[in-house]
Amino acid sequence: MATLSIKGVRKSYGSLEVLSNIDLELEDGGFLVLLGPSGCGKSTLLSIIAGLEPSSGGDVVIGGRTVNDVHPKDRNIAMVFQSYALYPTMSVQRNIGFGLEMRKVETAARESAVAGAAELLQISHLLERKPGQLSGGQRQRVAMGRAIVRQPDLFLFDEPLSNLDAKLRVEMRTEIKRLHDRLGTSVVYVTHDQVEAMTLGTKVAVMKGGVIQQLADPQTIYERPANMFVAGFIGSPTMNFLEGTLVQDGGGLVLKHAAGALVLTGIEQDVRSHIGRPVVAGIRPETMSAAGGASTLQGSVDVVEPTGPDTMVIVNVGGQMITARLGSRDRPKLGAEMTLAVDTAAVNLFDPESGNRIGGDV
Amino acid sequence: MSRSLNMPGSRPPRTIWEAISPFRLIGELSETRYWMYLLLLPSALLITAVVLYPTVYGMQMSFREMRLNRPDLGNDWVLFKHYVRMINDPIFWVSLRNTAVWVTSSIVLEFLIGLIAALALNRDLPGTKLLAVLILLPYFLPNVVAGHMWALMLDPRMGVINDLLLKVGLLTEYKAWFADPTTAMAAAIIVEAWHSFPFFTLLIMAGLKGIPTDLYKAANIDGAGAFAQLRLITLPMLKTIIAAAVILRVIGLVNSPDLLLILTSGGPGRSTQVLSLYAFQMAYKDFNFGYAGALSVVMFVFLMLFAWAYVRLSKVNQE
Repeated sequence: MATLSIKGVRKSYGSLEVLSNIDLELEDGGFLVLLGPSGCGKSTLLSIIAGLEPSSGGDVVIGGRTVNDVHPKDRNIAMVFQSYALYPTMSVQRNIGFGLEMRKVETAARESAVAGAAELLQISHLLERKPGQLSGGQRQRVAMGRAIVRQPDLFLFDEPLSNLDAKLRVEMRTEIKRLHDRLGTSVVYVTHDQVEAMTLGTKVAVMKGGVIQQLADPQTIYERPANMFVAGFIGSPTMNFLEGTLVQDGGGLVLKHAAGALVLTGIEQDVRSHIGRPVVAGIRPETMSAAGGASTLQGSVDVVEPTGPDTMVIVNVGGQMITARLGSRDRPKLGAEMTLAVDTAAVNLFDPESGNRIGGDV
Repeated sequence: MSRSLNMPGSRPPRTIWEAISPFRLIGELSETRYWMYLLLLPSALLITAVVLYPTVYGMQMSFREMRLNRPDLGNDWVLFKHYVRMINDPIFWVSLRNTAVWVTSSIVLEFLIGLIAALALNRDLPGTKLLAVLILLPYFLPNVVAGHMWALMLDPRMGVINDLLLKVGLLTEYKAWFADPTTAMAAAIIVEAWHSFPFFTLLIMAGLKGIPTDLYKAANIDGAGAFAQLRLITLPMLKTIIAAAVILRVIGLVNSPDLLLILTSGGPGRSTQVLSLYAFQMAYKDFNFGYAGALSVVMFVFLMLFAWAYVRLSKVNQE
């Protein structure tokens, strides 16, 4: 177990910069998720941590030791690949024990370590098989077995669940969480799946264009996104962005938008600097309800999508489409006028020019 | 006939002309199980004519007297006469031993050079694409051209190789490589390896492209060094391709006398006499096609046995 610090790490291929000045801290036993769309640099950052790719600058510190020039095998890390990267010509037993074999661990000790890992992952009955004879989920378990058997300081996961079907992915997600709780080893986990990030991470780094957009715990990322990219990337359906002008009305704040005004009560941000200027209000679909109240939005119902537990209703508010997650019994008629009550304490206000949350991070 | 071929649902003929119409008969035949044999017939005939007939003809030749310069002996069946002669023929045994040396040494050398070249070219460095094409050049040369070229380069007086070795100081006097029984075979093997290693390079490079790079990343983290990665990942993953390449090259080496024919003609003495060359000379110098046929049949059987054993062995290793 160890801490991880990334200090000013950069990576560029010629003139193309794929990572710029990355700073990260992960506490001992923490679970850091690198989250972002394809090409955001998250896998490159993981490869740099693993030592599989050199950085163009900056330091990687694992357990207090700067490892910039240390070979991957001497960093005491283990990695699970998206493709699993199991050695096709070796049995499961040898695959799991390969790292120990290369480190000249005695056969008896190796076998007992492999047996222990296999038991933990419930793959003891597969040890004699070749990877080609396993299902996707079983291969995933073997890959994890290979990682845990060496008891490394740090686990690196590179989109480990993206090759599994939806049901198995949920199962293995739970499994990874259970494994982390049990072993307590620090983890860096790369994914583009926001649900994995939210459920697994103790810390989430949302990345875009080689830059960390926000580094915080999942709750903060969800409730207080640092900018409109993070706000829009996390959450499904995505956060609504309602454009308008912020005005002071008596003692309170009001967002004047195309189809009326939204009274903002309980806003936690310091937005004084933006009074009288255009802003974007970020409203999560589930913070709206079909009841009336002091802060409301009016519009006509455009689409109704029942999903079972909820009903997604898309309302046209003065030309801007607003999605609300309503109860399963709320079934407004298409084209009908509708009033949505907004829990404005959960509203985030963004600067439309920079896209950043007004008043900075909480 | 027409009744037995009648399928359910086919309409009975209305007129006599319709009943004997060939189109109708073919249509009905196509609904029966004989149809597939009929469709296979053209290719079966072709294979018989092109593959089976010459093979069988060659084999029956080995059981006949067939000496073109002795028409008085006729061409009667002589059963195993040629085979019995072969057992008592010291040249046959020398040729067999030489064939084993020739094939084994050439294959080992070609494989090693081919593997090294493929591993080097597989690195993503500038210029490797061009080099990968250039390195294939020897293989593009016909055996005859390559043979004459090397014969000239290794020539005792005019050859560039002797000249170079003398200048470097590795030789003290001109050496006639193909005139000395101790160096003739080795020199021929080196020429052969030069000519055919690109075959291994080409196939191994294709195989290397198919190995996922993640395996090497995982191996790096697992602590496997370059040699361990080659031994435990690369070579096992290339096993099928290597097996195929070796079989193809062994067949080629056992069957083709051309390079040795040009370089040494089997000499000096019998030091580079191999079976294919012996059979060739038996047929086209001595005009004894019966004995040449028997030699060819023996080579054929050896190759069949080799391919069978080799495939079997490499498959056993796989499991």
